[in-house]
Amino acid sequence: MGQVLTRLSRLAEAVAAVIMAAMFLTFVLQIAIRYSARLEWIAARFPFLEPTHFGWTLEFCLALWVWLIFWGNAFVVREQDHVTFDIIYNHVRPGIRKCFAIVASVAIAVGLLWSFDPTWDRFHVLRIKKTATLSALFGDWIRMRDIYLIYAVFLIAVALRYIWRAIHVFRNGTDTPMPNSDGRPDE
Amino acid sequence: MTVEFLLCLGTLFVLAGIGAPVAYAILIASLIYLAAAGQSVGIAGKTLMDGLYNSFILLAVPLFIVAANIMNAGTISDRLLGFCVAVVGRFRGGLGHVNVVASLIFSGMSGSAVADAAGIGKIIIGMMTRSGHYTRGYAAAITAASATIGPIIPPSIPMVLYALVSNSSIGYLFLGGIVPGLLMGVVLMGVNTLISHRRGFALEAPVPLRELPGRTATALPALLMPAILLYGIYGGVTTPTEAAAVAAAYALILAALFYRALSLRKLYEILVESARSSAAVGLVIGGALILNYIVASENIPAAMAEQLVGLDIHPLAFLLSVNLILLLLGCVLDATTLILVIIPLFLPTCRELGIDLVHFGVVAVVNCMIGLITPPYGILLFVINGVTRIPLAEIIREIWPFLMVLIVALLALILFPDLVLFLPRLFGYAG
Repeated sequence: MGQVLTRLSRLAEAVAAVIMAAMFLTFVLQIAIRYSARLEWIAARFPFLEPTHFGWTLEFCLALWVWLIFWGNAFVVREQDHVTFDIIYNHVRPGIRKCFAIVASVAIAVGLLWSFDPTWDRFHVLRIKKTATLSALFGDWIRMRDIYLIYAVFLIAVALRYIWRAIHVFRNGTDTPMPNSDGRPDE
Repeated sequence: MTVEFLLCLGTLFVLAGIGAPVAYAILIASLIYLAAAGQSVGIAGKTLMDGLYNSFILLAVPLFIVAANIMNAGTISDRLLGFCVAVVGRFRGGLGHVNVVASLIFSGMSGSAVADAAGIGKIIIGMMTRSGHYTRGYAAAITAASATIGPIIPPSIPMVLYALVSNSSIGYLFLGGIVPGLLMGVVLMGVNTLISHRRGFALEAPVPLRELPGRTATALPALLMPAILLYGIYGGVTTPTEAAAVAAAYALILAALFYRALSLRKLYEILVESARSSAAVGLVIGGALILNYIVASENIPAAMAEQLVGLDIHPLAFLLSVNLILLLLGCVLDATTLILVIIPLFLPTCRELGIDLVHFGVVAVVNCMIGLITPPYGILLFVINGVTRIPLAEIIREIWPFLMVLIVALLALILFPDLVLFLPRLFGYAG
């Protein structure tokens, strides 16, 4: 079981890395195409580099970004990677900390599951809404709901993770206080 | 303030207070709000997704994170340091000056204070403690203080976040940060000089001048990066968002091809790590989008603006009190939360009082960066403690003089808006 989970989590990391790389490369492609558009011979010699074929890059990046966030939080981001306010949490007795962790985990799991149905309901209308430009890349079947789908996956996956965390903390207590954050490169 | 909004705030504070990730605390609190207000809780997810899917400028965030991680993994930081030691290492307190100058240059390449502290900062702390002339607390403190410049001089991830919540131009915000960043560098070098003389730090053996051209040559490609980015943005070659991709691409080419310091394996790890941080930050941004939706539908910023304008409060008094509040909050909250959640509350009042939003944004970001080194909750202190194992108490004991002068610099920026707005106006900013 443990081994399967480790494998799956490696796989999830690989997917996240691919999304990240794809986003980066798409951006580079977008800049390159914009500049090659000024040189007419390029499109004349290599018809597939015709700039009008690349209208999808911007929206594709946005879709990748949304998938990166929710795929990442569902399967790749660890508890200690989150932005947390841990001053109180780290300074209470282990017994109280255990209560804190269980209450927080249960609240998150219940909240996310509770919102699942109404959220999916809201997405319902998106099943017919076409994307602005992505049909050019994926073909005509793609709809906005296919992109928003990842949010539903996220709701279920994160709820399950927090149920598991609540059970784990209930049985084994919390780990030592959260270490001081390693910091994230967004600050 | 309505009952449902109080419930929302209560849930948020309780959940975040007991250690739930801030993003989830916001999400759950907004569900409570919607339910109490008799609306569908599905609105939360829809608002969040719509907001993220329409915010093109946010794409800069993950790309700048990748760029910062690549620069730290390659030997770009080491070469920059070699250059800085040759230039300013010869003065008293030399390595302290090297530290600040290296941060200034690095801040023109990365938009992150944490990346600065964990990368180039870690290396120079090692150099300073090995030289035997500085206590490790001092080395760590000056590194933390100079790392705050990282997101002030463009590029800057926090400024991208501010641009998102305030709808102001990233280009002008970036330009507005240049002079303040240099000012911060100058005051930090001033304190370093003062302390070095008072404590009599020994001089380093100066690097012979004939080595300078060689060291400059190895560092040159890295030194060019700030120029390339600025030219890209202001020469109209790339959008500020695309500049993030250019930064990552350039860092990648330098590290992999030019300096040959990056393996495929390492690149993969960088991508995974960057994805992890980007996702965590992205979720907080998403949470902030819902929270801002709620705060807006409660009409809170407008009500606050009305109150304050009714009180006939002077814009300067408002600016000073907002900054005091931000500094105090910065002691316990991290910068991302401050910028995305707290600052939007003040923006309508700024507009009403005629405070320029680019000026306000740069000042607020400088303030939040100072918040990264204010104890007890200062991310930069933790990062340096984490990567060097220098005890927090030693760092905090030495941080005060640096903190003081940074606050003085902040005050100067508040009192003299021209320090911020001079460059943007030169490039056509009408504010």
